[in-house]
Amino acid sequence: MIDRLCDQAGGQNAAVACFYFDFAAQKEQSPTSVLGSLLKQAVGGLEEVPGELATTYENQKKVIGGRGPQLSGIVRMLQTTSSKKPTFICIDALDECAAGYRVKILDSLNQILDKSPGTRVFVTGRAHIRPEIGRCFAGRATSVSVSPKRDDIITYLRTRLHEDTTPDAMDSSLEAAILKKIPEDISEM
Amino acid sequence: MSQYFSNNENSLNTVTTVNVSNNFTVADNRSSILAWLSPLEPRLRHQDVRASRVGNIGEWLLQTKEFRSWYTGSEGGESNNAVLFCYGNPGVGKTFIR
Repeated sequence: MIDRLCDQAGGQNAAVACFYFDFAAQKEQSPTSVLGSLLKQAVGGLEEVPGELATTYENQKKVIGGRGPQLSGIVRMLQTTSSKKPTFICIDALDECAAGYRVKILDSLNQILDKSPGTRVFVTGRAHIRPEIGRCFAGRATSVSVSPKRDDIITYLRTRLHEDTTPDAMDSSLEAAILKKIPEDISEM
Repeated sequence: MSQYFSNNENSLNTVTTVNVSNNFTVADNRSSILAWLSPLEPRLRHQDVRASRVGNIGEWLLQTKEFRSWYTGSEGGESNNAVLFCYGNPGVGKTFIR
């Protein structure tokens, strides 16, 4: 999805920022770091670092040892950058984000949409966080159920079979059996 | 505050230094500002996903009316489906939608 958006967005001069959540990295993936990383990507695509960001950076350095960025400031700057340029934000596996962090992250995204309603937010996750998404974004969110499609499974299997490092072990009847059996089993997922 | 910019012409990679009155010298702000914003690098994970993705998996999603109204809604008013949530069980391929 991110690549497709990047391909299409290039023509419209849009910004695409992504984030992948991971159970194993719950601690590091705090709201400030996650939103900070989205802002980092948005700013990375600009010719100049916005003045507000440069000033905030210079000011924090005056504190001994420096100080990390603040969530409120990051959200404000994301509101600004996304109002100036069409922006796509893609978040993968939001269910893997720590529950306490998730509330803050959803709320921050909602605040960005308040100021910049043209921003597009794409989120994936397991169904159990659906009510949370609905509550946070209210009328702004639409849901689509994702399940493996037969054609996609066959495309995948064909590619992997083609890359097989021991092709001698394969014959046409085994290949046919694989292409029949696996999609059948998966469609019951 | 007196502030001036000078280009260090002698070095090969012409570093722009900013001299502020209190003798702070900052070499190339941009990368240090970006690094300060967040230590996380989701683009690395993205490279892995891209490398292991196969063909145009998930093409069907782009044909759904939900996706279309999300994608084209940019010019719309308030209730314009700004958020698209794709949900499913682990392993169904949510991460790999092309």
